[in-house]
Amino acid sequence: MSEFSHYEADQSALYSGEHHQDANSPDSKAKVKKIWMITLYLTIITIVEVLVGLYVSGHMSKMYVNSGFIIMTILKAYLIVKVFMHLGDEFKNMILTILIPLVLFVWFIIAFLMDGSFWLWINHHFTIR
Amino acid sequence: MSTVALESNKKVWGGGQSPFNLSYGKIMMWYFLMSDAFTFGAFLISYGTTRFFSSIWPDANSVFKSFPFCGDMNLPLMFVSLMTFILIISSVTMVLAVHAGHCRDKNGVIKWMVWTIIGGIAFLSCQAWEWMHLHHHNAWWGAFRNGAGAESLPHFFRHDVDPVLFASGGADAAHKFFNFFFTITGFHGAHVASGVVLNIIILLNTINGTYEKRGHYEMVEKVGLYWHFVDLVWVFVFTCFYLL
Repeated sequence: MSEFSHYEADQSALYSGEHHQDANSPDSKAKVKKIWMITLYLTIITIVEVLVGLYVSGHMSKMYVNSGFIIMTILKAYLIVKVFMHLGDEFKNMILTILIPLVLFVWFIIAFLMDGSFWLWINHHFTIR
Repeated sequence: MSTVALESNKKVWGGGQSPFNLSYGKIMMWYFLMSDAFTFGAFLISYGTTRFFSSIWPDANSVFKSFPFCGDMNLPLMFVSLMTFILIISSVTMVLAVHAGHCRDKNGVIKWMVWTIIGGIAFLSCQAWEWMHLHHHNAWWGAFRNGAGAESLPHFFRHDVDPVLFASGGADAAHKFFNFFFTITGFHGAHVASGVVLNIIILLNTINGTYEKRGHYEMVEKVGLYWHFVDLVWVFVFTCFYLL
C-alpha cells in the first residue's frame, strides 16, 4: 500500500518488522537468554524488597529503609524500561524526550512530600493558624 | 537510515521522515504512556503528601497480611508479592511475544500472548480477592466515618501505635488510606483490564494472520509497551502502599 498522508510520508521502512531474524538463530537465542536474565534480576530485587519490608523495616531508621526501597524500585523501573520496552535501543534524543520529564517529575515528588511534612510540623508547633 | 539522520539537522528535522526513526504509532504510544505516567504519579504524590501530613497512618504489614485459602494465618505482604511476581512474569511473556514478532514467528507470538493474557487475568483475580477481603473487614471508599466499622480499626495499625494518636486520628487516617488505596489500585486495575482486552484483540488478529499479511508485528510491540507500562505502574504502587 503506497498511499500515505502528506504529513506522515512513507513509514513502511520504520516498522520494526525489518529486523528479520530466524527464531532459531544464535542471535535470537542470545536475546531470549538476556530477557530471562533480566527477569531473574527483577525477581531477586523484589524478594530483597519484601524481606526488608518484613524483617528490617521495624528496626532500622525509616529514612534508610525508604531510600533503599526507592533505589530498588528505580532500579526495577530502569531495567523494565531499558530492556523490556526497548527504550535503550532507540535514538538518544528520543530517550531524552522520555527521561527528562521523568527526572523533573522526581523534583515534583520531593517538593510535595516536603510540603506535606512541613504542614504537619507547622500544625504541631503553632496554635495560631 | 541512522547515518543519514546523523548527517545534518536539516535532513533529520526537514520533514518527510520520522526524526527518531520510529513510526508514528509507536511514538504516540510512548507519549500517551508519559501522560498516563503523570496521572498515576499525581495520584501517588497526593497519597504521599496526605500521608506525610498525618501524625498517624495504617501499617502496611498489618493491613495486608492474609492469603487466599489460608484463613487466619498471618502472612504479611505475601499475597501482594505473589501478585507482583505474576505481573512481572506476564511482562516477560509479553517481551517474548514481541521478540517472536521480530522473528516473524506467528506461533511463537500466539503462544506468548496467551500466557500474557492468562497472567493478566490471574492478576485481576488476585486483586479482586484482595478487595473483597478488605471489604469484609469494613474497608471501602468512605469507610470509618462517624465511628462506623470501628471494630476493624486496631487491626490496621501497628500493635505498638500511640493510643492517644490512635484514638483521635486513627479512623480518619484509615478513611483516607482506604480512599486512596481503592482509587489507585482501582485505576490501575482498570488499566490491567483494558490491557487484557487489547491483548485479546491483538491475539485474535495474530491468529487471523493480519500481521503476517501486513508484513510486520509492530502492533504487538505497541500493545507490549502499554502492558509494560501497566507493570511499571504496579511496581511503583506496590512500593508506595506496601513498602514505604
